[in-house]
Amino acid sequence: MFTIIKLAIRNVFRNKGRTALTCGAIGFGVWMTMLLGGFVYGLTGIIVDDVILGRTGALQVHKRGYDNVKDNLPLDFDMEYGGELRKKIQGIAGVTAVTGRILFAGSLNNGMRNTFVIGNAHDAEHEYQVCPSANRGLLGQALTPKVETKGMVGFELAEALGAKLGASMVVQAAAKDGQQNAMDLEMAGTVNNNLPIESKRMVYVPLAMAQQLLKLPGRVTEYAIAIDDRERLPDIAADMQRQLGPDYHVQTWFELRPQVLDIVKTQRVVLLSVCLVFLIIAVIGVMNTMLMAVLERTREIGTMMAVGIRRKLITGLFLAEAAVMAVLGIGTGCALGFGVIAWVVYRGGFAVTPPGSKAIVQLQPYVPDWLVLLVVCATALATVLAAVYPAWRASRLRPVEALRAV
Amino acid sequence: MALVALQGIHKSYQLGKTEVIALKGVDLSIEAGEFTVVMGPSGSGKTTLLNIIGCLDRASAGSYQLDGQEIGHRDFNDLAEVRNRKIGFIFQNFNLIPVLNVIENIEFPCVIRGEGGKTLRQRVEQVAAEVGLTPQLLHRPDELSGGQRQRVAIARALITQPQLVLADEPTANLDSTTSKQIIDLMLRMNREHGVTFLFSTHDPRVMEHARRVVYIHDGAIVDGTARAAADVAKMKEITAHA
Repeated sequence: MFTIIKLAIRNVFRNKGRTALTCGAIGFGVWMTMLLGGFVYGLTGIIVDDVILGRTGALQVHKRGYDNVKDNLPLDFDMEYGGELRKKIQGIAGVTAVTGRILFAGSLNNGMRNTFVIGNAHDAEHEYQVCPSANRGLLGQALTPKVETKGMVGFELAEALGAKLGASMVVQAAAKDGQQNAMDLEMAGTVNNNLPIESKRMVYVPLAMAQQLLKLPGRVTEYAIAIDDRERLPDIAADMQRQLGPDYHVQTWFELRPQVLDIVKTQRVVLLSVCLVFLIIAVIGVMNTMLMAVLERTREIGTMMAVGIRRKLITGLFLAEAAVMAVLGIGTGCALGFGVIAWVVYRGGFAVTPPGSKAIVQLQPYVPDWLVLLVVCATALATVLAAVYPAWRASRLRPVEALRAV
Repeated sequence: MALVALQGIHKSYQLGKTEVIALKGVDLSIEAGEFTVVMGPSGSGKTTLLNIIGCLDRASAGSYQLDGQEIGHRDFNDLAEVRNRKIGFIFQNFNLIPVLNVIENIEFPCVIRGEGGKTLRQRVEQVAAEVGLTPQLLHRPDELSGGQRQRVAIARALITQPQLVLADEPTANLDSTTSKQIIDLMLRMNREHGVTFLFSTHDPRVMEHARRVVYIHDGAIVDGTARAAADVAKMKEITAHA
């Protein structure tokens, strides 16, 4: 066996130029897959972080039935906030922070214009523990726990109203009992984040103000929750659902924003398709090289047969040669891939604008371990499989004909 | 009992739409320890005969027994085993494996059957010394002269201690001095170790030393030492005038 491996290694280096080309093709495929994977997963990380750390939290809890009518922003599915329920959620293993919100429909009036808005009332004391990136794109001042009359307005909404920082506005909404209510709001900041609907329609107000406006003292319609380990998200969600019981509905971020998951899945499909193309190129390269090797070394194979080599050893020899090329190609590709990614990370990443966003963020390429494993295993397997036919052809040569080859 | 016993060996093959008959009912018997030459004009069937005796090719019909065992119907791996254990080959073009050095080339037939270690290495060095290759043990074939390459081929043929060594025109690519050395070497191996040699050659110097000359013509063995002797004389004459 050792001799066959030794022979395979030496045979690989017989035609250095052709080996370099073949290993280069394998390495290029691995390299490009890692770079592309790094970019895609870096971008995925930004998108997912934007959702989890900027909007939904990892998990949310609503009253059972809220999800069916959530587009109407109902107030009927309210839950107590600040009491036992919050403590119960906070006490579940893996939960690191809990905040409460009320989403409501209303209108915003600056004395000149009146427009429909979506109100997002949150508990400033805990909101930024759950969603530390909630104020990405903020101009001006964020909500603070102490000031109950200052709020933030979507950037494009503020522009449409011609409102400047510090402008006075009136928020009007129907309370839970149906009575119209209004309160003054000072626009302390504008938020220019990734979603046009939020930029054009969202008003952020303190939770206490909304509870007063909507006549929901000590109540919220939504809990947003941060957890310590995203890998354990389904387990924590299941545990939470079990502990809270059937009156409550626990949802993960990807259940709340399935479109984001679709984007992530699409990116993976595109990535894997491109990987497949690189893999096919490598396979064709390896098969071509191995067929050439069989053709060139036909008489040598005949000699080996003459001295008594068995077919399986000939097959093994050519498969071992392909394996050696796979190791060289994959090793080169991985080294280049990790090297370039490390260099990009060291330089601070790429500046990119996430889909649907106007904000520029730094993309840090990241290659998950499973992708590295997949690329390495798939390339190695494909390279060796590409040599199966040439190896089979070599082993099926008739000694007398192989020895006659020029 | 004869080492090689061929009876009624026929060999034909297709060349396009034409059926070419290479051997027509060859009967041949070779005893252990013989130093035999097969000669004949080009296309007479001597290489085909050697290929069949060497288990590199199969006869279309007839019986072939090597060391008392029927060979004709064995599969590839069985024939590989027979070639590995019982037959050594020396080729006109040496047919060494270019990426292996002298030691590795010599030991290759033993290594592929799972032998290894110090005992094998000692045997290789001993055989290499017998054929005069000790200074070149770590050289690769492209660093050797034609004569040295053929010595490696002889050592490789002998390392398995085969019962029969087949040599197809072993001196055809060598100059006269080297040819003589190679012939002397094979004669010594035959004399000292009792190795049976069967040659296909046109070289009169080989035929001169042959204890037996088998003349083949149009795929059939022509019985007659006299005719073979006449050819030897004729070829000697040609060589002398050349």
